[in-house]
Amino acid sequence: MSTINNSRRNFIKHSGIALLGSSLPISLVELAFAETTQNFSFAYISDSHIQHIKGAEFVRNWDQGLKRAVAEANLLTPKPDFVIFGGDLAQLGTKEELDHGAEMLSALSPKVHHVMGEHDYYLDLGEYWEKLFGPQYYSFDHKGVHFVVLNSIRTYDEWTYKRWPTNVQRMAEMAGLDNPNGSPFMVGDEQRKWLKADLAKIPKTTPVVVFSHSPLQKIYKGWNFWTEDAEQIQAMLKPFKQASVIYGHVHQIQYNQIGNISFNSVMATAWPWPYPQAYAQAEQYLPKLTVPMNRADPFFERDATGWQFINMANGRVDMHFSLDSNNSRTVGFNKSKKRPEDTVYPSEAKRTAPQTHY
Amino acid sequence: MRFIIVLTLSITSLFAYAQFVTGNADTKPSPGTIKQQSNPKPMLGLPPLIIPVDNPQTQAKIELGNKLFHDKRFSIDGTVSCSNCHDDNKAFTDNLPVSLGNNGKFGTRNAPTVINAAYNKVQFWDGREPDLESQSKQPLINPVEHGLSDYKPLLTIVQTDPEYVTAFKSVFNINEKAITMDYVAKAIASFERTVLSGNSAFDRYYFKGDKTALSEAQMRGLQVFLGQGRCVSCHVIENDQALFTDSKFHNIGIGINQIQQDVPKLAEAFLAAKNKGANVDISVLSDKKSSELGRFAVTDVLSEVGAFKTPTLRDIELTAPYMHDGSLKNLNDVVKHYNNGGVTKVGDPVNPYLSGGIRPLKLDNNQIDDLVAFLKALTGSKAANLAAKEN
Amino acid sequence: MFKANITMKTALLGSLLVFANASIADEFTDADVKRWEQQFMDTVKQGRELWTSPKLGNNGVVCAQCHPNAANTHPETYPKFQKQLGKVAPLWEMINWCLKNPLEGQPLAADDPKMIALQAYVTHERRGVKLEPGKH
Ligand code: HEC
Ligand code: HEC
Ligand code: HEC
Ligand SMILES: [Fe+2]
Ligand SMILES: [Fe+2]
Repeated sequence: MSTINNSRRNFIKHSGIALLGSSLPISLVELAFAETTQNFSFAYISDSHIQHIKGAEFVRNWDQGLKRAVAEANLLTPKPDFVIFGGDLAQLGTKEELDHGAEMLSALSPKVHHVMGEHDYYLDLGEYWEKLFGPQYYSFDHKGVHFVVLNSIRTYDEWTYKRWPTNVQRMAEMAGLDNPNGSPFMVGDEQRKWLKADLAKIPKTTPVVVFSHSPLQKIYKGWNFWTEDAEQIQAMLKPFKQASVIYGHVHQIQYNQIGNISFNSVMATAWPWPYPQAYAQAEQYLPKLTVPMNRADPFFERDATGWQFINMANGRVDMHFSLDSNNSRTVGFNKSKKRPEDTVYPSEAKRTAPQTHY
Repeated sequence: MRFIIVLTLSITSLFAYAQFVTGNADTKPSPGTIKQQSNPKPMLGLPPLIIPVDNPQTQAKIELGNKLFHDKRFSIDGTVSCSNCHDDNKAFTDNLPVSLGNNGKFGTRNAPTVINAAYNKVQFWDGREPDLESQSKQPLINPVEHGLSDYKPLLTIVQTDPEYVTAFKSVFNINEKAITMDYVAKAIASFERTVLSGNSAFDRYYFKGDKTALSEAQMRGLQVFLGQGRCVSCHVIENDQALFTDSKFHNIGIGINQIQQDVPKLAEAFLAAKNKGANVDISVLSDKKSSELGRFAVTDVLSEVGAFKTPTLRDIELTAPYMHDGSLKNLNDVVKHYNNGGVTKVGDPVNPYLSGGIRPLKLDNNQIDDLVAFLKALTGSKAANLAAKEN
Repeated sequence: MFKANITMKTALLGSLLVFANASIADEFTDADVKRWEQQFMDTVKQGRELWTSPKLGNNGVVCAQCHPNAANTHPETYPKFQKQLGKVAPLWEMINWCLKNPLEGQPLAADDPKMIALQAYVTHERRGVKLEPGKH
């Protein structure tokens, strides 16, 4: 919001691709990246945390976040080919929450592919979720790109099956991000075996995009910005010329490059999280590449929340963040530097002090 | 009775200061305005006013601007001056829901007051002009306002009317042929920079500690404004000043609620038209539905659909009806709209683009009355005198 | 004037210390310190419980949802100007603001034991960070 972008005179002057800056006319996006027939876009909505209070009452703030993302995504022209929902649709995994969330998502016109989040999973281990949205891990092909969806938020069997007297308590323990009784996320043997077989069929020149809820890289264990078997998944992606991982869970913008694999996170529609370095007692590894988001003003409930649309340009991911109360951001793949890069947003050093996290 | 020129007391020092920093910048109009802080002694409750370096305040220039502001000849039918819609006797508004322009034509938007517009970081409800100078050129050629097809008729008048010729000569040191719209705009803007309001009962209570300035109800209303009413985050008050605006754009559920279903089509059509070169100023003031797109029409940013600039609340009692479309008749209706969480009628659907700063407030009727009473304590000393005289 | 006063007081204090018998002065033992620390840590623990309690507010939302480990509460910067309040305010007023807004709850009195526990918790999580009053 609220950059002082001048009058229509300026608009006409710059109209066309030159405008690809702080204000990106949605209708021009495809034009700007149109280089090959492989070019298409999809939208990504994540972490809505629909939270049931009682009866027909849900937390209004989180409801508004999801409704807004859906309404805005429906304004995209041209229409995205599909939508990914990145997990944590619910807060405590209940039928009420998943149903209410699914109903709001039903207003989206394109097809939605779902990713499992820990808040959806740990009540019934995904049973009701599967009924609504289908299998917990799967792959599909679209316009020459191979897409893989993983359930990356499983954990050690001991913790899942033995530690807690009730499913409700198990869910509650995993729902607290900073709860020391939680347990690290992992993809696990079963899915890694499946993934190996799935990727074996794909030529190494095919672009591969993996959607997971947790980062398939290790950032901060205390808040599960972490996947225990991340290195093993990365090793499976290594042979591919162009591999990307897009993840939710962290409720903030992060991006990174490890070898040939680019990593991009997405924002939450519900609320933003502090960057791990904001916790004075934490030892953490936020990717150096990442330019953090501005600090949020909690008065504006949507500040630092939002959704994103993604352009697949020649097999690479360009992320456009539609951020409320802030300038939109674009993290695109820089071909010469071979890594994701913020195209317009100032680096921390160039920003005014109050926007910097401390 | 004319709105009083409030800067007169400090005008000499102001002039001297501005001259000092600018040299003779005045003779060469330049498009980019470098801002410079000036006006060292603002009214109680107001911050120092920022005067562009290339348009310093002078008494003669302010008077010239005043004259231009009230000249009805600058319109297609000879009936419209700026003051038709920004009437000195109506706290610089017209008290109409949407403004009446030339030949009985209505626009789509409510005329905001010019009072304290000098402090605005951008002009118009959707912020499509950066400053007073550029803003003043728009209404003249807007078909539903002054209705001129271009600036020629206006320039002919100022270049030939001997009073104007003399005035421009003495203010800008130019001869009649050299009078351009840039000079006209500068003079009007200088006049507008004197239309200020501060020193209200609230200011005397809050910044000077005069405990008698507010009634009991108004004091309670102030607490609602700062607390449960959540007004202060957008209508800003600080420790030593209060402009009652954050200079940002928010969708608070006005106008857009009625056209929610149309937004996807409307937005697409609007962007297409704009890419083909359609004029935003004309589109939004002549097409009701395009007008409701708000800030989005200017920036194309999806999160700004239906968002409008936070207006000042100074002299708010005098500027009814309220909001960008003039749809709320009185302050009681305004507070109820907020209390309902951004809908005018209880139970109406909330629009999905609603600002994250708006939500149901759970105020009871007493709190609503107190808050309304408080808003009436924001009438500045100048306007208050004016209102008293009229009654 | 003012300065002189202070120096006089300090001088007075200094002489008192010199002449006082060490064992009669405000003396405390390791056991005392441990016990007091324990009392502080108990209060921190109560604060942490409130931090994660759906009962603190009215809509089931908890502080920890947005502030894991009390991150981004910045107790070391208070008092400071806070936009949401329109003035320079102490920490407890901002705690109340978040309590009334995201949690849609009732504010606590400044000396409510719960308010003290919340402050103990956020401050403890921020230990080691230098004091920067007024920093935005
Ligand atoms: C026909 C009525 C009409 C006339 C005549 C008119 N205005 Fe306005 N004025 C409006 C309306 C309506 C708006 C709001 C338009 C919008 O935001 O899109 C406005 C906006 C403004 C603003 C912006 C205030 C703010 O808070 O953003 C200023 C300043 C202003 N007018 C000054 C002038 C001047 C100077 C003139 C003469 C050159 C003038 N107006 C002529 C109706 C009028
Ligand atoms: C989220 C920011 C926000 C909050 C919170 C807010 N306002 Fe506003 N206010 C605005 C905006 C933006 C407008 C103009 C909206 C429009 O016309 O579409 C406005 C308009 C108004 C107007 C009409 C002004 C005019 O000239 O027409 C009044 C009166 C008002 N607000 C009072 C209040 C009160 C009282 C509160 C607290 C109960 C409040 N506002 C809370 C942003 C806000
Ligand atoms: C919906 C998310 C949300 C919830 C729930 C929430 N807060 Fe906040 N709070 C924020 C955000 C965002 C900030 C601004 C952080 C910043 O300045 O970087 C904030 C700021 C604060 C601050 C001031 C930090 C500063 O630097 O000024 C305090 C203190 C605070 N919160 C306490 C609490 C307490 C206590 C609770 C529970 C009663 C709570 N918050 C619940 C989002 C939330
Ligand atoms: Fe999440
Ligand atoms: Fe998660």
